[in-house]
Amino acid sequence: MTIETNNLKYSYDTGDDALKGVTLGFEPGSFIAVLGHNGSGKSTFAKLLNALLEPGGGTVYVDGMTTSDPNSILPIRQRVGMVFQNPDNQLVASIVEDDVAFGPENLGVPPLEIRKRVEEALANVRMTAYAEHAPHLLSGGQKQRVAIAGILACLPKCVILDEPTAMLDPKGRDEVLTTIHEMNRKFGITVILITHHMREAVDSDRVIVFSDGLVVADGTPREIFSTKLEVLQKAGIDPPETVKLLQSLRAKGLHVTADALTVDECASAIAILAIANNSYQISNIRDGGLDGGAVRDFGEPVLSCKKLRYTYSVGTPFEFEALAGVDFELPKGIFAGIIGQTGSGKSTFIQHLNGLLKPNAGTILLNGEDLHRDKVSSLAAKYKVGLVFQYPEYQLFEETVYKDIAFGPKNMNLSAEEIDIRVREAASFAGLTDDLLDKSPFALSGGQKRRVAIAGVIAMRPEVLILDEPSAGLDPIGRRDLLSNLREYHKSTGSTVLLVSHSMDEIAETAERIYVFNEGKIEISGSPSEVFANAERLRAIGLDIPEVTQIALKLRSLGLSVPANIYTIDDAVREILRLC
Amino acid sequence: MLKNITLGQFFPGNSVLHRLDPRSKLIITLAYIVALFLCVNFYGYALIAACAAACLIAGRLKPRLIFNGLKPLVFVIAITAFLNLFYAQSGTVLFHWWKLTITDTGIYNALTMLTRIILLICGTMLMTYTTSPLSLTDALEALLKPLNRIRFPVHELAMMMSIALRFIPTLIEETDKIMTAQKARGADFETGSIFKRAKALLPLLVPLFVSAFRRADELAIAMDARCYNGGTGRTRMKQLRYTTLDAKAFALSAALFAVVVVLRFI
Repeated sequence: MTIETNNLKYSYDTGDDALKGVTLGFEPGSFIAVLGHNGSGKSTFAKLLNALLEPGGGTVYVDGMTTSDPNSILPIRQRVGMVFQNPDNQLVASIVEDDVAFGPENLGVPPLEIRKRVEEALANVRMTAYAEHAPHLLSGGQKQRVAIAGILACLPKCVILDEPTAMLDPKGRDEVLTTIHEMNRKFGITVILITHHMREAVDSDRVIVFSDGLVVADGTPREIFSTKLEVLQKAGIDPPETVKLLQSLRAKGLHVTADALTVDECASAIAILAIANNSYQISNIRDGGLDGGAVRDFGEPVLSCKKLRYTYSVGTPFEFEALAGVDFELPKGIFAGIIGQTGSGKSTFIQHLNGLLKPNAGTILLNGEDLHRDKVSSLAAKYKVGLVFQYPEYQLFEETVYKDIAFGPKNMNLSAEEIDIRVREAASFAGLTDDLLDKSPFALSGGQKRRVAIAGVIAMRPEVLILDEPSAGLDPIGRRDLLSNLREYHKSTGSTVLLVSHSMDEIAETAERIYVFNEGKIEISGSPSEVFANAERLRAIGLDIPEVTQIALKLRSLGLSVPANIYTIDDAVREILRLC
Repeated sequence: MLKNITLGQFFPGNSVLHRLDPRSKLIITLAYIVALFLCVNFYGYALIAACAAACLIAGRLKPRLIFNGLKPLVFVIAITAFLNLFYAQSGTVLFHWWKLTITDTGIYNALTMLTRIILLICGTMLMTYTTSPLSLTDALEALLKPLNRIRFPVHELAMMMSIALRFIPTLIEETDKIMTAQKARGADFETGSIFKRAKALLPLLVPLFVSAFRRADELAIAMDARCYNGGTGRTRMKQLRYTTLDAKAFALSAALFAVVVVLRFI
């Protein structure tokens, strides 16, 4: 089966040219990763391939049919399936097996045959045990696998996945990626995976890079990540950490290969270089490793908790202990990070810090005083500890950006002048320009909406700003800009920032202190180098460790003397230079 | 957590009532309601009450469930019965004050109305307790199919109902999230006058509607991608099938219905 596009163009009603002439062909059975910043046209391209959109110019050929022919639409959609980003908004039925049956039912497949296909599809995504469950009780990764089963039951020849892991935690992401790769290998289904995660692109046969409605690079991951780095940078794409490390080493004059993509390849390349330079020292592996460097001196804790416990739905069959005795101290003025799997209790925990949830047992001290002392103090805590939830853009409701940011300060009964000062200040911290303030928040892009929501909390001038997954679902540029805005905010206000994230890389990049949650408790805490020294423990509780740390660990297992707890590229380069 | 609420009033089980085809249950419930309004005397009501009690046992449901189901309606039932007391103009006057008259017919009417309403609610509860909302939707679609001929959008209606059922828990969860988030910005949903509280709901309702529309939009695209093309040519994995159990239930119901009609003339 073949899919080809010829000079494909598409413009939205708003007049934006989403695609400006794309000519591509796809090898049957291959695994293709599509990269590109938000608005680069990659999602539009995907929707054109299975006739969800009609070309504004050019043609899409699927098995000799064209998507512009109304009679071909159903056969094309049967052959080219599509899985979307939000797992909740693509499941139709209230029972898993009914949902998987939806596609074949639409195609008029006989009932017994549907039953057979549903069972096979569920087995292939390892969800047979959940056939009679309700989708809303499944985890994100499970929902996405059900969505994939729903497509497999239509017996497609090609599956397009539009950022299927963007809303998932590392565990869900692994589950889904394994499923996608199996589907490609076992059934020879062509996979077109749209993604922002370089790790996912590295494992593909071919990488296609979109930028501003055009294909700017197309080749194997090795070619793209070693020879097209400038193009990637222009297209707003971050190369994998391994490539960044090798590039930095080359910049320092080391003759190391540039195209090692996986952690293992990268470590081998460095080891080979070390051998060549006769510095292979099997005997004296250093145990401790990198010292934390000069640790900043922090003052009194702004927030501290003792033996915090919280149980949901006490006395019902759904009773669930989310917090099982948390001891926590957050130094004033720090930029700290919380990391943990979904269900580890971190979201429940942060809702305790501003008094939204009241613990079943234990105390929370804000500036040394009990947060739940009386009504006034627990109300005040909401303004002193600002909380930005996951996907905060879904809370926007006002007519203008200005009014939405002003919602919090208004609830604090501040004067109009004071509100005006705070709104403008918060907007600028969040990276919003003045001309956006009078616009409707619903007319902004996804990334801008999120900034408005964050500004809405900053405008209350909280002493502690807590953000739950602030960069989830953003593209690499959006993520980088947002994090640098947050660092800037932290530096210039001196207030305390607590960042909750699934992404070890993100935490490693920003946090001065890390708290690792597992099963309702803080399992490890300390400076990044202290925490990453527990790599094995982190892996055991289902957390990623930064790629640079993985490389360091690999080098150690190869017998090279590098510290185990390196987590930044700069440290890695320094340590490797010392070796070679 | 809000997402753990039970949807509708369905209690899963494997009793005779649970195993009946939902179409049978719908038809028999309709017949039950018609029979209820055909009754004119004590014997009819007694028979119907006996049937309801028998079904309760057959469905292995606790009588407490019926009381729980009636509880929220006590006020409505009481008002209806009370008003009926004064409607009747005929019969022996038992009580008279100002413009209010109670006659023995009035008392009789009130009691009849009370019995009817209670039995009516019992019957429909028996159905909803033993039939999942989803299979009820399927049954409705199957039974209303003939209306397709007069261009009544039966399939679309059933699809809308089942999607609504699918998204209720999702939207409840979302409501919970938005409320928490707005509370973190100092929103107050609990205190103040009615007017103030209604206004305080805006930060909750606007995002909720926006999100519902966004979900609808994305779901429509996902359904398109999965070859949805309306009801024509569509098959179903789970076919509704009448069994001998349904035949028995129909026969029994028909016989009882006939008895109720005969009892009218005693």
